Amino acid sequence: MFKNYLKIAWRNLVKDKTNTSLNVIGLSVAFAVAVLLGMAALFQLSFDGFHENGASIYKIVKTQQTPRGPEAGTVQPAPLAPSLEAEVPGVKRITRFLQDGALAIQGDKEIDIDIIWVDEGFFSMFSFPIIKGDGNTPLAQLSSVVLTKKAANNLFGSTDVVGKTFHLLVKGKEVPFTVSAIADDMVAETNLEFQMAGRFESHADYLDNKEQWDSQYHDVYVELEEGVSSTSFESGSRGFVDLHFKDAIEMLKRDGASADENGRYVNLELVPLADVHFTSLKNGYVSVSRSLPYLILGVAFLILFIACVNYINMSIAKSAKRLKEIGMRKTLGAQKKQLFFQFWTESLFIFLISMGIGVILSFVFVNDFKTIFNTQVSVDMLLRPSFLVGLLAMVMLITVFVGGYPAILMSRLGTIQSLKGKLESTGNNKVRDVLMVFQFGIAIALITGTLVLWGQIDYMRNKDLGYDKEQVVSFPLNGKRNSNDVIELLREELKGNPDIVSISGADINLGLGRDGSRSSSKIGFEYKGRSVTTNFLVVDHEFVQTLGIDMVLGRNFKNASDSLGVVINEAMARELGEEDPLSAQLEISNGVHIPVLGVVKDYNFKDLDRAIEPITFYMSKEWGLSYAFAKVAPHNMASSYEALENTWKKLEPNAAFLGSFLDENVDRTFNREKTTAKMVASGSVLSIILSCMGLFAMSLLIVSQRTKEIGIRKVVGASVASITYILTKDFLKLVLLAFLIASPVAWWIMGEWLQNYAYRIELSIWFFVAAGAIAVLIALLTIGTRTIRAARVNPVKSLRTE
Amino acid sequence: MLLQLKNIFKWVNTGGQRIFLLKDINLEVEEGEFISIMGPSGSGKSTLLNVIGMLDTFDEGEYHFLDESVHTLKEKYRSNLYKEYIGFVFQSYHLLDDLTVAENLEMPLLYKKVKGSERKALVADILDRFNIVGKKDLFPSQLSGGQQQLVGVARALIASPKLILADEPTGNLNSQQSEEIMELFKKLNKENGVTIIQVTHSEKNAAYGSRIINLLDGRKV
Ligand SMILES: Nc1ncnc2c1ncn2[C@@H]1O[C@H](COP(=O)(O)OP(=O)(O)OP(=O)(O)O)[C@@H](O)[C@H]1O
Ligand SMILES: [Mg+2]
Repeated sequence: MFKNYLKIAWRNLVKDKTNTSLNVIGLSVAFAVAVLLGMAALFQLSFDGFHENGASIYKIVKTQQTPRGPEAGTVQPAPLAPSLEAEVPGVKRITRFLQDGALAIQGDKEIDIDIIWVDEGFFSMFSFPIIKGDGNTPLAQLSSVVLTKKAANNLFGSTDVVGKTFHLLVKGKEVPFTVSAIADDMVAETNLEFQMAGRFESHADYLDNKEQWDSQYHDVYVELEEGVSSTSFESGSRGFVDLHFKDAIEMLKRDGASADENGRYVNLELVPLADVHFTSLKNGYVSVSRSLPYLILGVAFLILFIACVNYINMSIAKSAKRLKEIGMRKTLGAQKKQLFFQFWTESLFIFLISMGIGVILSFVFVNDFKTIFNTQVSVDMLLRPSFLVGLLAMVMLITVFVGGYPAILMSRLGTIQSLKGKLESTGNNKVRDVLMVFQFGIAIALITGTLVLWGQIDYMRNKDLGYDKEQVVSFPLNGKRNSNDVIELLREELKGNPDIVSISGADINLGLGRDGSRSSSKIGFEYKGRSVTTNFLVVDHEFVQTLGIDMVLGRNFKNASDSLGVVINEAMARELGEEDPLSAQLEISNGVHIPVLGVVKDYNFKDLDRAIEPITFYMSKEWGLSYAFAKVAPHNMASSYEALENTWKKLEPNAAFLGSFLDENVDRTFNREKTTAKMVASGSVLSIILSCMGLFAMSLLIVSQRTKEIGIRKVVGASVASITYILTKDFLKLVLLAFLIASPVAWWIMGEWLQNYAYRIELSIWFFVAAGAIAVLIALLTIGTRTIRAARVNPVKSLRTE
Repeated sequence: MLLQLKNIFKWVNTGGQRIFLLKDINLEVEEGEFISIMGPSGSGKSTLLNVIGMLDTFDEGEYHFLDESVHTLKEKYRSNLYKEYIGFVFQSYHLLDDLTVAENLEMPLLYKKVKGSERKALVADILDRFNIVGKKDLFPSQLSGGQQQLVGVARALIASPKLILADEPTGNLNSQQSEEIMELFKKLNKENGVTIIQVTHSEKNAAYGSRIINLLDGRKV
């Protein structure tokens, strides 16, 4: 019997080639896209999911109630972790975690290396497999370090280097470290990545900060004892917090902060390791949001849905052609069940073929997918048992519902009606119409989303940020020389080049540079009996003119030794609340009063999703600079860039030149938006193509079913135009209905999304009109050609084919 | 007695009005009979035949087939019953276009769950009996109307039914082809003892039967 089903299934599929291939193409593409997007989403969702103890590991977040509202931060003071371990019950292991980079020196090799400084138990807490050396206590010695396979190969040219020594350049001095173990190379799904792991106590700043509770500069991860819950630990840590943050709490009270619902000012909160990748500290609260991976999964699901709708609609429409067969089989003794299985087998056939092609397609395109969408999924993910099982389950589910529904409809038809060849079913058309409205609704919503995303990105790219981003190059000072000296040397070297307008430096970059690192620095101090918080930027004296930031009051730094004052922005001036900001004296460190020299116009030194905060520029030789900024003339920009690179190579022959224009840096900060936009855009393109494939197939079927009607109408004198209109209007109505339903939904979703940005576009009606127009136009083109052709056929011919 | 209809009524409700398709039909059919149903167009001949064939339901009355009371049976048992005992022949043949002659013939056996080897044998046997061995791998569209109806009759017979129901089996055929089919029916009836009920408009075809039933507006006359 089954063989018979297969045979009939095969013949039916072959007979209707257009329909079958439309179905197979649509489903294959949808499956391929679903597999790729599914992998991308799972990749995100599985971040740091591989640690065996992961379920009991947490990141510590400190939240405090300030007069301006709650604030949350992950950076902690150095004594916190050891004190927590000693004083609060329930800690199994705890580690500080400081990400850093330094120049590693081995023989004549000098390489920039990514370092994490951690506590002894790090490798027992986290599951980074050690492949050589001491796997149990690799960090028992203060001078011990763990290198990854790749880092060892880069530095030593081999991984057989356990016991060997190399040097790190720390504050201008070469400090020796000994390799105790080699770790396997990192999987991409971790936020704890490193090339070298060393003991926290060996970090250059440790000795100064060992006992400092008010200097916060690293993360802390804690592993709780079995049976200890995060909430019981959080409440257990309250006494500890009150003891160690006593001064800070006093100050918050005095400044008029209001306590939280538990009457507290400072709390330690635990964020589960699995949530860390999705945590943001928005508005002072820890918020965990997996919306991006779920958005990706959502797009994948929608595309599958659209392809499945096509399949259902085509099967139902096609069933009209098979009425005779159904009736005949029934009179020959076929039961409903048997007919159901026959039709279902046909579906299974199509789904399995499409699935196969889909998986092959996803293999073929996985590399393009990775580059275009900026994700690090790999083919191995496809082969993981959990993924395969999920995939199979999905196909089975789809086959049951999508293949089952038309099969049930067909097997239920009455014998006599089927034999007469007439469907008495207006009900089926209703299902079809609802499904098509859904399809086009999805497509229209995705198109709207794409347009709005593009609009916002375009807005962010072109917004005047208050500084000159087109003509300024920044590059990290990642060499051996003292940073202030090297800025002077650069000035000296490039003095004769008329295209280099000016050069300066700061300790924080603007946007995201090619070194891929971002930081921010904030300080708080007392001002007239209140505490004031400001971003803090160590600069060189020519910073303001190099960046082209406008002065609104007072003056800029005059020269390198003009370091007895600060320059602030307008937001900071407002924060100080002085009528004349220039009269303010800031007591940034105890007992020293620093005058405000000038005020610059507000500029967006952080991403556009935030309002401009107060910032203070300060010059200090001790604190050093991390980035150089060079303003170039508007012409010959390429050769100016080259001149910078060559000069840098000359000054620091062993350091890479990672310069880029600030507009590129700013562009990089919305990589996430660009990726989202690309995903939604390709989703919308695919969904409109798939929907139109369905529409096309439906119009073919409808036209063939109405051949006789068309013929009769023409015989009695209908024009080509009126017939085209009759054939098209039903579908167009559906697309318009879809537009009316989808637009408010898209309006709401995109409105919510834009709320994330302090600087954003207005949701104009034109986004929606454009999306609707695009959908209608494409739909018209899809059905138009076929229907016009059908309408033009000689009526005698169409009547005879009946 | 093969089957018995007692006071069968069938109606449809349209626009609040009850239209009778069959009115008080009483009919007894013995095994081995050859019955022709006649009547003007729209008189309910096909409807009656479908009721007898259990393809259609009725609203009132009793229907006994062999020892079973059809009006009390569930669909599944009814389909088992006609699968076992009844074969259909249609005016427009109703062969499946996607299957070859042999496969069309095999299909009723598949639904009766006959074993593979036995199926082969039965198909070969019937092809032989109907003299269409040479056509077994052709598709219906490659046959003439008469040949298609021949296959239709062969398909109805392959599962050796007790009763053959034929709705205007020669309606689409020319006179020579009709004669062949009617001769075939006669032979089956005489030699194999198959009961036959046919609907026909032709007096000549009706004469092949042993009894004629006349219908008018759903009523036996
Ligand atoms: N579902 C239905 N709803 C309403 N009326 C119906 C329905 N099915 C059949 N009829 C009516 O029942 C009557 C009998 O139909 P039937 O097909 O049995 O006629 P017939 O005698 O076979 O005619 P013909 O010789 O033309 O084949 C017709 O008047 C038809 O219009
Ligand atoms: Mg009839």
